[in-house]
Amino acid sequence: MSLIETSSLGKRFNDTEAVKQLNLSVREGACTALLGPNGAGKTTTLNMLTGLMKPTEGTIQFDAAYEGDRRNYLGYLPQYPKFFGWMSGEEYLIFAAELAGLPKKQAKISASEMLELIGLQDDGKKRISGYSGGMKQRLGIAQALVHSPKLIILDEPVSALDPIGRREVLELMKRLKTHTSILFSTHVLHDAEEVSDDIFIMNKGTVVIEGSLRELQQTHQKPAFFLETEKSPEEWLHTLKEQDWVVDWELDHHRLMITVDNMEKARANLLKDEHLHELKLVKFEVAKTSLEDLFMKVIS
Amino acid sequence: MMRQWMVLFKKEWTESLRNFKWLWLPIVFIVLGVMQPITSYYFADIIENFGGLPEGAVMDIPLPTGAEVLAGTLGQFSQIGFLVLVLAFMGTVATEKTSGTHIMVLVKPVSYSSYLTAKWVHILMLTLGSYVIGFSAAVYYTFLLIDQVPMSHVLSGALVYAVWISFVMTLVLCLSALFNSSALVAFGSLGTALLLSILSMYVPELMMWSPGMLSSHSYSLFFVGEADEGFWLSMGATVALMVVMMVSTILLFNKKELAKDSGA
Amino acid sequence: MNELTEAMQNINWALVAPIIVLQFILMVVALVDCLKQNQTNGPKWIWIIVILFINLIGPILYFIFGRRSN
Repeated sequence: MSLIETSSLGKRFNDTEAVKQLNLSVREGACTALLGPNGAGKTTTLNMLTGLMKPTEGTIQFDAAYEGDRRNYLGYLPQYPKFFGWMSGEEYLIFAAELAGLPKKQAKISASEMLELIGLQDDGKKRISGYSGGMKQRLGIAQALVHSPKLIILDEPVSALDPIGRREVLELMKRLKTHTSILFSTHVLHDAEEVSDDIFIMNKGTVVIEGSLRELQQTHQKPAFFLETEKSPEEWLHTLKEQDWVVDWELDHHRLMITVDNMEKARANLLKDEHLHELKLVKFEVAKTSLEDLFMKVIS
Repeated sequence: MMRQWMVLFKKEWTESLRNFKWLWLPIVFIVLGVMQPITSYYFADIIENFGGLPEGAVMDIPLPTGAEVLAGTLGQFSQIGFLVLVLAFMGTVATEKTSGTHIMVLVKPVSYSSYLTAKWVHILMLTLGSYVIGFSAAVYYTFLLIDQVPMSHVLSGALVYAVWISFVMTLVLCLSALFNSSALVAFGSLGTALLLSILSMYVPELMMWSPGMLSSHSYSLFFVGEADEGFWLSMGATVALMVVMMVSTILLFNKKELAKDSGA
Repeated sequence: MNELTEAMQNINWALVAPIIVLQFILMVVALVDCLKQNQTNGPKWIWIIVILFINLIGPILYFIFGRRSN
């Protein structure tokens, strides 16, 4: 059962289509990453899910078990969270909780729990205007969580942070995974690999690849060979293409990457190939393609 | 729904406590209110001492009446007072939109009408509160220094003027919700108020309905205890215009996209 | 000069004192707030001068334009 599901969602600004034919579904209890380069339409997608933007096409369906305004069950952290600087961190959390409908007393309890969760218990009484970027980002996550929503939506939660802030927020997300569903956008594959269960890769306004992290790793991590030769392997490549074990190849001057389906067969064949020896091998390496390669391939 | 409204209203209130609006707006109005009776009272003295009148020249400057001084006070409120009020509140929604703080409020299950009306009620309370305090000071000094005006005249005139203030402040809020530039909001609302007042002054027969007539109605109330002809028309039109402005602003605000179309 | 002192004596200080007190309160609050701010719109020392030396208008200008909202 998916928590939130879109069908052929589209958003047009004047004559540019920022998002088109987007089908997305977020499982309850999972951490889902929306991965893609800048300008892929990630923020626009998230804005439509939160109701900040109205789609020009398609529909958004929230789990029918949760009735009414879906904003009741969502927590949202924008890419650049902006707070009222004159409030203290604690005041802001109470404000956010009460806006989400918590009674005053519960809002206070929840706010202090959140401050502890994000490690700001000592700074809760200070004005937000004096907070650092990392502190604001953590406060942003806290305000998204303070009313215990079913799903929290985080827009590029780590990209504006320095390495330490990034580490803190990623660790926080790992802890959150255990009690709430998360949907977050990022342009860094590594962040998606580190915390997410499901990945949707977006490019040019639509989803190009989707699946669970494990699934993607299994299907897209193929055995591969990296070769480097002194002479150009271009001609030899024509003979290679005809082999049935070759899945894909990529040539960059004298460097060649060959993706294969059967490593043993490929290795045996390559090593006894006379023509390859004539090209004067400099390097022969057995490896696996990574998600990085896949990511680069689908977005280019 | 009502609880969220109170939370938003409380936030506005705390904000204006923290940025001292609750302190300096009443002070501005008290000072403005007290200035008029005091300068009227000492006007003769000032002219006599500093006006460079030839030695021995006797000039008898009559004291203005109490009603004239009160009307003069409202005249001050309409100029410096409005300028200060508009500058103080031009950014009510506009700065939240430009800084992006409104996004994190409106992504919560909050209705846009609560968001706007909480601000509206807060602005009216703060401005009308400052006005009441300032005008009370003016009345006190006028009674003390100049002369008495029947209390019923004072109260009815002050009440009518309060509606004119409410109209201008509603305009400020609506423009602030619809535009992002605070300067545009200030020019728009001050310009409209000025235009309405000037037209009402020069072509009153065409402007019977105009909110700009309300200040001259309040002057008449001070002087004779009765408003001019067409009072109920302009009163009714002003209230109706305020309702229309608020409703259409909420509708337009609902339609507008909150997030900027960065496309990223 | 005589005329000036005479005029000063004519003024009923009980009437004018409240205005002076209010202006003073406004100035002190603006000054304290300005000093406590991390940053103001424009150089802080200019705002301090404005608050101290421009009667009534100075503190108001500071509250409207000098304070940073966030």
